[in-house]
Amino acid sequence: MIKEFTKGFIKENPVFVMALGLCPTLAVSSSVMNAIGMGLAATFVLVCSNIIISLIKGFIPNKIRIPAYIVVIASFVTIVDMVMEAYVPDLHKNLGLFIPLIVVNCIILGRAEAFAGKNNVVKSILDGLGMGFGFTLALIVIATIREILGAGQFLGFNVLPTSYKPVLVAILAPGAFIVMGILMGMMNLKKKE
Amino acid sequence: MKYYLQLGFVLLLITAIASGVLAYINGLTAPMIQENQRRIKAEARQEVLSEATVFDSIGAFNNEAVYAGKDADNVVVGFTFLASLYGYSSNIKTMVGVKPDLIVNKIKIISQTETPGLGANCQQMEFQAQFSDQSSGDLVVDKDGGQIVSITGATITTRTIANSIRNGLEYLTALKITENAETAQAEEEAVE
Repeated sequence: MIKEFTKGFIKENPVFVMALGLCPTLAVSSSVMNAIGMGLAATFVLVCSNIIISLIKGFIPNKIRIPAYIVVIASFVTIVDMVMEAYVPDLHKNLGLFIPLIVVNCIILGRAEAFAGKNNVVKSILDGLGMGFGFTLALIVIATIREILGAGQFLGFNVLPTSYKPVLVAILAPGAFIVMGILMGMMNLKKKE
Repeated sequence: MKYYLQLGFVLLLITAIASGVLAYINGLTAPMIQENQRRIKAEARQEVLSEATVFDSIGAFNNEAVYAGKDADNVVVGFTFLASLYGYSSNIKTMVGVKPDLIVNKIKIISQTETPGLGANCQQMEFQAQFSDQSSGDLVVDKDGGQIVSITGATITTRTIANSIRNGLEYLTALKITENAETAQAEEEAVE
């Protein structure tokens, strides 16, 4: 049972192992603050949609399951968007257009199709939490590297001496690919041992 | 045939329920969001024209009212408008406070989603401070031969902000010209 929760951390990490949700990972990991915000918002949507989809899996005919899943996911993302804009406008402004992008985060549709559509609610909740946590973890690791190398900062605070010349490419798209690629490679090496 | 009708009906049911829930949440949050927007703009207005205690609407620019700020003695201490132009990856909205001689007093960027670490650095105080005390003609980026220092790796963002402010100043200039023309006209007619 617990395995359903922990598998998302390392063994089946959505970013480094299953290569899901790479678009938002690349885009949001330029700063740790954004990474944390995005990770938490995506986890919330993932757990909620897993619950609903697991509950109604009996009622959805197989042929229309994808559109049905997407309606559920998009609804939760819209709810997150509206609630954040109303109650935490500053954080909402920081995450900006990344929130609507959660809809097309493949992790959420992927888990709905591969797990929630075939398992009970309790297991789906654990799966959602674990995958979401693994996603957030991956985002934070990448963002830490990119923010420190590319801006000399961590969570907006300067952590390197002012004489440090930031490696700008680290916060641009190529930097994202390179950092992610190196980390994936390292994880594969570790798995082979 | 009946099978496809059944498929369609299930989708209809799911989307109907989803729409209902969303409409409900929207009803709850929309007023809060509008109030947040209004409050942010009012605070920004006060910040870019700190001597003003009253703001009178004198026109509209970018779908936002242009205000003449007056102090306690009802003397005009300046104007405010909302500068807005699409930058590198988002609409950049800047609240601009202008002195009566149409020199920029202070600006405050209230909305943007430019690239974090690059264009998004336009939010920093030091960057926004360099727009103070600039006239319309001074609002040129260094890459275009002017004095405004662009953010490293974000010339487009910088140029957009400068241009958007210049647009607003030109609007104000035109407004004041018409105001002066109307006042002159009225004085002429009064004399006759």
